[in-house]
Amino acid sequence: MKLSLRCRVTLSFGAGLLIVTSVLAFATWNLASGYMLRQREASAARQAEVNVRLVEKSLSSPGLDELLAGLTTGPDSTILVLSPGRLVTAGRKVEPSELPPDLVDHPPGRARLTVAGLEVIAVTRPVAGDSVYVELFPLQQLDRTFGFLSAVLIAGTIGSALLGAALGSWASKRALKPLAELNSAAGRIAGGDLRARLPDQDDPDLAALAAKFNSTAHALEQRALRDARFASDVSHELRSPLTTMVNAGAVLRRRREHLPGTAGTALELLTSEVDRFARMVVDLLEISRADQTDDYEPEELDLSALVRHVIASRWRAVPVSASPVTVEGDRRRLDRVLANLMENAERHADGAIFVSVRQHGSVARIEVEDGGPGVPEALREQIFERFARGRPGSRGDDTGSGLGLALVREHVHRHRGRVWVEDRFPRGARFVVELPAVGGPA
Amino acid sequence: MCVGVLLVEDDERIRQALSLALSDEGFTVDEASSGEDALRRLETESFDVMLVDLTLPGIDGLEVVRTLRSRGDLPIIVVTARTDARDVIAGLEAGADDYVTKPLMASVLAARIRALLRRRGPGREAVRIGDLEIRPQEGLVHRAGERVHLTRTEFRLLLELAGAAGRIVTREQLLQKVWGYDYFGDTRLLDVHIRRLRRKIEANPDDPALVLTVRGTGYRIRS
Repeated sequence: MKLSLRCRVTLSFGAGLLIVTSVLAFATWNLASGYMLRQREASAARQAEVNVRLVEKSLSSPGLDELLAGLTTGPDSTILVLSPGRLVTAGRKVEPSELPPDLVDHPPGRARLTVAGLEVIAVTRPVAGDSVYVELFPLQQLDRTFGFLSAVLIAGTIGSALLGAALGSWASKRALKPLAELNSAAGRIAGGDLRARLPDQDDPDLAALAAKFNSTAHALEQRALRDARFASDVSHELRSPLTTMVNAGAVLRRRREHLPGTAGTALELLTSEVDRFARMVVDLLEISRADQTDDYEPEELDLSALVRHVIASRWRAVPVSASPVTVEGDRRRLDRVLANLMENAERHADGAIFVSVRQHGSVARIEVEDGGPGVPEALREQIFERFARGRPGSRGDDTGSGLGLALVREHVHRHRGRVWVEDRFPRGARFVVELPAVGGPA
Repeated sequence: MCVGVLLVEDDERIRQALSLALSDEGFTVDEASSGEDALRRLETESFDVMLVDLTLPGIDGLEVVRTLRSRGDLPIIVVTARTDARDVIAGLEAGADDYVTKPLMASVLAARIRALLRRRGPGREAVRIGDLEIRPQEGLVHRAGERVHLTRTEFRLLLELAGAAGRIVTREQLLQKVWGYDYFGDTRLLDVHIRRLRRKIEANPDDPALVLTVRGTGYRIRS
């Protein structure tokens, strides 16, 4: 899996700062610890020098013990004076055998070593000929300082790495904000909202992109509007001649018996096609109206009452199971949705056999079931397209406008709902409309 | 019963075809080709119902409707080529009783006309609601003793509501009983008429005390 750009920027900011600060911390550590150690050694040497002088004076006097005890700087420091055949010590107990022989045999010397589990600086000095003065300075104090220093440096390094990551995240978010806006605008356009635009950009690099995007979207919107207006204009212009044709047709149809034979058949053909033509124009107008201008007037209504009413008006024989559920919608359009589904069932499956309205969680669901041949998987999307005809198994004398289900989908989408068709057991199809319900489950 | 229809339409072919088809449906149809022509004829002749196209040369359909409404309660159906809410509402606000959109079929139009001319209403007894007195027999409404002029449709709408005696009357029932709509009930048609009715019988139409809205369902009269 490839990491997102934002993720990568965040990581590289974090890693970059981690590297830089750890190099700095490492250098600081080395320099500071070396310097402090050298300082400590120098001061130890100086102190030993002073002590040696004092010891030299009272080497053979019996008060050497007390003198040495007075010279020790703490419970952990040790002073040994090794004379041939005599050993005087003070402070923490250390055996001469625990010290490296090299150091003791060849004074003066200086070394850092661990004696009896304690890190010390050992300083040796020759005293009055053949004696050796050894003083061990504990490094505990310094160790504590080092511990503190390293803790500060590690915390600082980690902190700066986190800061770097946060900075990277923020910077990339800021830098990518126009991209996120572009993405959301493009998504809205793809979803059908042609009014989506990008906000004006200050950055000259992005301004060009935003301007281009907006002009493209504008052109697209204009074109879609033009197309819709054209469809609307065409069907509008067709209305007047159609009114004449439909009514002249009705007059002729009443006098059908005066036109026997061929002329009668031709008249029948003509009038039924004129009627279908009229239906098509009406549906086309409705669908192009749904495309552009909006006279959508939502109100809260009880879907079950609406469904019962539509079914009672024309499909009295169809059983209905309806429980109350409130939706916000346009009554006329929802009437239309159900009527079109019922007509569709009549046309393709000898009519609906069951209609139900129920609330499923947060959606209201209408189901129209028929016992016909069903809709093959491959056509389930397609039948909701405009002028999608020729559903296999449909009758030859199809008199629909070819826009019925397209209108259903159009109206349902306008209500922020969904519509689909599925198999019904044991045979037939089930058309399902889901609309957002108002209020919780009843 | 022979119903006299005045058809006002400027497109000659539509006028002829509609006239023929409506005659077939049993109406006596008179034609007028302009608003001026229609108003002139209405001064001397009487008709049972008028069909008027909204887009006419000269005086337009809306003006004709308004003028006629100021003269009396002749039932008017407007014919419009557009289904835009604005046109429809403007026509209804001007005082039309109903509307149809092109391409209209004479059979549908005939059903509309018959529904409009039906005089039947629930109840024969006079009804009192607050200071409102309805006498269905005479077709009269008085408010605080003063006569209120309602159109036939407004009167029937009021009667339907009053007949339910305070129970809710759904939109569907009203559309069906008053206008003869089976389905595709047009909310705008009902809303505009309720608005017109309130303007005439309510003391304060913006805060109705007699005709109450039942949200999501319909209307009821204060019992």
